Amino acid sequence: MSQDDDKWGVAHVHASFNNTVMTVTDLTGAETIAKSSGGTAVKQNRDEASPYAAMQMAESVAEEVKAAGITGLHVRVRGPGGNLQKSPGPGAQATIRALARSGIEIGRIEDVTPIPHDGSRAPKGKGGY
Amino acid sequence: MRVAVTGTPGTGKTTATELLESRLADSDDATDDELTPDLEVIHLNRVLEDEELYTEVDADRESKVADLEALSEWLEGRDDIVIESHLAHHFDVDRVAVLRCRPDTLEDRLLERGETDAKAAENAESEALDVILSEAVEEHGLESVYEIETTEREPAGVADELVAVVTDEREPSAGEVDYMGYLT
Ligand SMILES: Nc1ncnc2c1ncn2[C@@H]1O[C@H](COP(=O)(O)OP(=O)(O)O)[C@@H](O)[C@H]1O
Ligand SMILES: [Mg+2]
Repeated sequence: MSQDDDKWGVAHVHASFNNTVMTVTDLTGAETIAKSSGGTAVKQNRDEASPYAAMQMAESVAEEVKAAGITGLHVRVRGPGGNLQKSPGPGAQATIRALARSGIEIGRIEDVTPIPHDGSRAPKGKGGY
Repeated sequence: MRVAVTGTPGTGKTTATELLESRLADSDDATDDELTPDLEVIHLNRVLEDEELYTEVDADRESKVADLEALSEWLEGRDDIVIESHLAHHFDVDRVAVLRCRPDTLEDRLLERGETDAKAAENAESEALDVILSEAVEEHGLESVYEIETTEREPAGVADELVAVVTDEREPSAGEVDYMGYLT
């Protein structure tokens, strides 16, 4: 893995029930390097179309990221599409695989999905997230 | 029949099921032949508190970590019920109603209810990412999930939809809202 921090960024993947969007920032999160905008954000069909659409989005973002001189990305996944332990939803996994395939090195993958809660919450790992 | 009424905190589950409860009670002794089934509404958070069915406390979130197994045991033998809780879809149920609310409105509702900024924000993000809807579909399948948009609906209108779900007057649905635009 490259030790040159300048060449690393963070891919923030938001994966909902039928949509996946991604933003790439520098390591501090302050500067946005690439973004899948509303137009390229993919409306998925939850079946076959979904991983494919997420993949296409990832490929186009990957080109921008490489053009900016980034060679590696840590990935922060938010959303049920992003559960990496259990059955991954359509969006997140396809996104990560597409990034890797386009020649970007993948670093740490973190799941930072929010937990719905009031006076109670589900145990971790239940419902998955 | 067992019906789960779930949804991110703030979507209006307690409010709507309290209305549903009084309608179900009314129809008990009604002479008109309403077809509302005889269901008891169980507010699961009250059970969790009263019976102490949790394993630990999440200090960051000021939230009790539910003992789902113990709750499931407590529910055993209760077969004609409406379970009201954002955990309701984790149990053995026949239908799952998932209440939805636009994240910005949800955040306002929670702040108004007196929740902390952090709690309101994390729940709004959960709602924007369809966390509960996705869990419900994963655990019960598209054919058992009934999504109900509450943002512009009065509580009575939400209760009407719940009646429609239990009386078979509407079809299952999921993923008809897209709140991704409300991510902060
Ligand atoms: N349909 C609705 N429209 C507007 N406000 C609502 C509606 N349902 C509930 N509320 C308000 O929103 C807050 C959360 O409702 P509540 O029933 O406690 O939600 P939940 O049980 O899902 O956490 C309460 O302050 C309630 O008065
Ligand atoms: Mg409640």
